[in-house]
Amino acid sequence: MGAFDTLKKYKWMLPLLSKADRDIRGILMKNMRSTKKNFYPEGEYKADVGNLIKCMLCPNVCRFDCGTLQASQTETMSPAYKARIGYYLSIGKIDPTKEENKAFIDLMYMCSNEESCKIWCPFDFSVVSLLETVRDDLNDKGLMPDYCKEQIDKLKSSNTIEGYNIYETYKEKGIENVETDGNDDVYYYIGCESMKFPEVIKANIEILKKAGVKFSTNLDKKVCCGGPAFNIRDFETAKEFANKNKKLIESTGAKVIVSDCPGCILTLTKRYESAGIKIDKKIIHIVEYIKQLLDKGKIEPTKNIQDDLKKVTIHDPCLIARNLNDTSSIRAILGKIPGLELVEPTYNKEYVHCCGWSGTAHWADKELAIKEASIRVNELKETGAEVFVSACPLCELGLAYGLKEDEKENIKIMDVSELLFSVL
Amino acid sequence: MDFKNFNLIYKENRSEIKNKSNIKLKLIEIIGEKNVSTEEVDILAYTKDSSMIGMNWTLQGIIAGQPDFITWPDNVNQISEILKLANLEKIPVIPYAEGSGVVGGAIPIYGGIILDMKKFNKIVDINEKNLTVTAQAGINGMNLERFLEAKGYTTGHVPQSLYISSLGGWIAHRAAGQFSTKYGKIEDIVLGMELVLPQGEFIKFKTIARASTGPQLDKLFIGGEGTLGIVTQATLKIWPIPEKRSLISYVFPSIEASFEAVRKILRENIYPAVIRIYDHAETSRHFAEVEKAKDKVMVIFVCEGNQKLVDLEEIITREKCEKDLGVDCGEAPVEHWFETRFKTTETSSMPALKLVFDTIEVASLWENAAKIYHSVLEATGKIKGNLLITAHVSHFYPNGIGIYFTFGGVPPKGKTDLEFYQDCWNSTIKAVLDAGGSIGHHHGIGINRSHWMAEEWGKSLKTMKEIKILLDPNNILNPGKIYVDTWKGGEK
Repeated sequence: MGAFDTLKKYKWMLPLLSKADRDIRGILMKNMRSTKKNFYPEGEYKADVGNLIKCMLCPNVCRFDCGTLQASQTETMSPAYKARIGYYLSIGKIDPTKEENKAFIDLMYMCSNEESCKIWCPFDFSVVSLLETVRDDLNDKGLMPDYCKEQIDKLKSSNTIEGYNIYETYKEKGIENVETDGNDDVYYYIGCESMKFPEVIKANIEILKKAGVKFSTNLDKKVCCGGPAFNIRDFETAKEFANKNKKLIESTGAKVIVSDCPGCILTLTKRYESAGIKIDKKIIHIVEYIKQLLDKGKIEPTKNIQDDLKKVTIHDPCLIARNLNDTSSIRAILGKIPGLELVEPTYNKEYVHCCGWSGTAHWADKELAIKEASIRVNELKETGAEVFVSACPLCELGLAYGLKEDEKENIKIMDVSELLFSVL
Repeated sequence: MDFKNFNLIYKENRSEIKNKSNIKLKLIEIIGEKNVSTEEVDILAYTKDSSMIGMNWTLQGIIAGQPDFITWPDNVNQISEILKLANLEKIPVIPYAEGSGVVGGAIPIYGGIILDMKKFNKIVDINEKNLTVTAQAGINGMNLERFLEAKGYTTGHVPQSLYISSLGGWIAHRAAGQFSTKYGKIEDIVLGMELVLPQGEFIKFKTIARASTGPQLDKLFIGGEGTLGIVTQATLKIWPIPEKRSLISYVFPSIEASFEAVRKILRENIYPAVIRIYDHAETSRHFAEVEKAKDKVMVIFVCEGNQKLVDLEEIITREKCEKDLGVDCGEAPVEHWFETRFKTTETSSMPALKLVFDTIEVASLWENAAKIYHSVLEATGKIKGNLLITAHVSHFYPNGIGIYFTFGGVPPKGKTDLEFYQDCWNSTIKAVLDAGGSIGHHHGIGINRSHWMAEEWGKSLKTMKEIKILLDPNNILNPGKIYVDTWKGGEK
């Protein structure tokens, strides 16, 4: 809110203040001048203290939609409490350097980054963005948790967070590598988590081929986008990956970059820009591109959907629904599949509940992330669908964790590309 | 972390817990290791509720109460066993769900076991023929409403705290929602209930539309604030989502004129779902953009339901308003209310300025309504340091109203935040009692009103205390609320 709006909002208070005793007005003026001295940390800090204060003093209006709170059902996981602890760590009320306070530091990483809080927040905050500023100070003090250090070590040693370069497995997984000649129309940017779903990548490659798109994948040179380093707030490592990716992407000559991973898109765009690195290309999710191909008639379903894949429901990836603001592409693609019956879940589109597999929480507490995933699986099961369709490898991974063993026979988790490819 | 870094407000009469580690082991036996905590990161999370004074304390690193154990049961048997253990060891048990209370009801002022009801969050059944929904008591209000909305229904219970409160909390504090003039308060909405009594006995009250089967014992527990039993499940009335909604607003020259118009509407058996009267100060605060509202009293109405009935309600509402000097302001003020009704940005901004704010809701018959309004404004307006005392009226009956007062200011030199806060509370409550009103409308007693109970209830408080002793002879369930003058024990 700007100064003019603030004045307008509080104009009603002016007559009240003018009537107040002089000494009371004096106390109030002193309080206003001393806010920083009274409540902000001394010295250098990166924490967004002013907004942490606002968040921690809110009565938790986003609590009912917070993934980690709903999974744990503890007050400890409530967003305003996390902000409160972030504030206390920032001002030293809780000493972050003491080993006994490790659990308070862990709380700064207990977020799935789904940002459903932002929908309901009267301040329009995303709680994770506040917690990230606390992580910055913790990192500066050398207090990064071990489970985060482990991810950074893996990134540095293997170029992905798998502990080995997962892109090197493409041959054994039967994924075709398309090398660039430097003159592509499209670069298909495959996320490292997507490499765990080779059938999805194969489907995307075949769809692009059927549509006659000139594209490349460059798997021999491919590395992680650096998204995990941005989550952990290790900007040095993040920038290294950003520069590697910028070089690779620019070498393709493509004007359009399509990715199968919404996390990669966020990283290649907003996160790189926040680190001062701009890739001057159109970067979109592959569902948006496939929808365009369908609209232009470049591809067309020719078969009916097979019987056991008929009844589907959608798990909207939070980053597509809430970050890219695109809830129509997936539905448009499904709408073109002959014989398919779509049953929407109660919590869908921008109100989707998290799969549990984003952010840092699944590193800090895998059991909690699985619980979050199982809650989402139960919501999707209520639709009676046989197929859960999504468009994000992390969501597909999370949902798979959320399925019970006996449910795996009856329920399939599929990417929208796989489903479309089956009818082309 | 050391709790010594956090000043504790309620530290007198804390229960002496000997052999804490042994009790923890017994709790683990009952609910498993993952569902019991004595970790500081969990303990600190349960040291406050949503009282406004608590916001100032949170910023200053002060805690209201400090529990010894946090427990997360997920079935009735576990609650029962925890209560039996607490009776044996004489340890307080404080039911907690979403922590949205604003009068200290969930603050563990003597320490003890927090019994967090969040895992009781299932919807058990919806019955579209009977128009009922049955849910566990820990369910969040918004999650219950969203479930119902997806099926085309609502409970009609929409408190401002909808996002942050629970079904059990509504029942415990005898809550009322913003649409209550049409749909009723929680005691009108609850048709059946299950609970665990203080000594661990599980009881059920049959779900029925109405019966003549002796005294209505279940009503004793609505408003019990977790002192007489722990509600685990309830069956509520539901309604189809209204097919039409009319938004109406009028301004009046005085609070009295607005009272008269609304009183005459209700006399006709017309029940707009929402009626809200804003006094002059609150009208200028919330409706500064409305030209006609300058120096006036704004009243907004929402009529909803069957289209034909809503049309008729609107005609009668308008007739009555216009007869009492009302000037039509259109739909915009009501739309503004809909847009802002859950926003809490102002309150989060006040503690950094060391401003102490709160709202106090009280009840009145029509004959005393204007007197109560003016008496409180005069009495609390005189409190040194107080900068504002304003009011709006948001709950209505053919016989009376619920008035919401808002005060706010800075403690003068020599007064703590709590002392200033108590001064404003006490002057308001005293003025209400002197003018023939009742000390609370729908937030409950908690800590803040406990020392006024003798005046509010008179001799009947003795009977209430006897019932408490009968049900809870060891006084383990949420002690320090309702029956004792707790504020005298608060640190100043």
